[in-house]
Amino acid sequence: MTQKEFLTTVLPFKDKLYRLAKRLLVSSDEAEDAVQEIMLKLWKGKEKMGNYKNPEAFAMTMTKNYCLDRLKSKQAGNMKIVHSNFKNSDNIERQVEANDGVSLVFQIMETLPEQQRMILQLRDVEQYDFAEIAEMLDIKETAIRVALSRARKTVREQMIKKYNYGIN
Amino acid sequence: MESTRIERLLDAYFEGNTTLAEEAALRDYFTSDEVADHLAPYAAMFKGFVQAQQEVSTSEVTLPQSGVKMKRWWYSIAATFLVALTVGSFVFSNQGLSSEEEEALAALQQTREAMMMLSSNLNKGTENVAFLNEFAKGSSNIKHINQFTETKNRILK
Repeated sequence: MTQKEFLTTVLPFKDKLYRLAKRLLVSSDEAEDAVQEIMLKLWKGKEKMGNYKNPEAFAMTMTKNYCLDRLKSKQAGNMKIVHSNFKNSDNIERQVEANDGVSLVFQIMETLPEQQRMILQLRDVEQYDFAEIAEMLDIKETAIRVALSRARKTVREQMIKKYNYGIN
Repeated sequence: MESTRIERLLDAYFEGNTTLAEEAALRDYFTSDEVADHLAPYAAMFKGFVQAQQEVSTSEVTLPQSGVKMKRWWYSIAATFLVALTVGSFVFSNQGLSSEEEEALAALQQTREAMMMLSSNLNKGTENVAFLNEFAKGSSNIKHINQFTETKNRILK
């Protein structure tokens, strides 16, 4: 597989990897790093990639695992200060980029448990079907529906709370 | 009419029971400008999802030249090192031995000279021995002469 062939396989879903990474890691810098890391890993294992029937799902799974590892090592180490710094800068950035209440969805999503966050991202943002999400996250479809329902309801509650607060 | 259909879809949506097509219909409705007032709080949610999907990675993907090429590159570096090491060790070891070798060469030269001297003296000796032989021959000749004189004396008697 040449570099060109590799890029034509991989680039169409690069932004999806980035968005999933950003949803989990919150910081856009860290999400870019994650994407670069995943791309390198895919490139090194590119001979095997032909064997996977769905390289995109495979790459998504890798991104998920990479980000969860990052989060775990952050919690284990003393990275929390750094993390909250990123969060602050991101929040400022976000306030600048959107003031119409839409950005609230992102903030609410950040408060969700990681699994619900990923499922909401993959379904409502990226619009994957349940079978694909099941493959990416290695969870049964019924469990995905349950987690998705919970995530959506949490977002709704928070949105309505904030919305009412905004109006009053 | 439209809003009752949307309400029904919303109920299914929050239970996780909508299809992708139904979810697309919800998105279309809430991103349009005709959202019913009582459904307005949901608009931000769907608009948020739409906006989230527009986010893109801005960094370029940088890949190493090629996996195989990189390996070969390492091989050549390793080979160069090995050759340099071998040549270097040869050069250095020669330099290290050179003083000893010079000494040894000098000793060899001296030995050779001494041997040459010895052998030339020996040759002189053998030459002398040859002379001695000649002398011996001479003396034997003298013996013959003596014999001859004896015989001559007898005859003269």
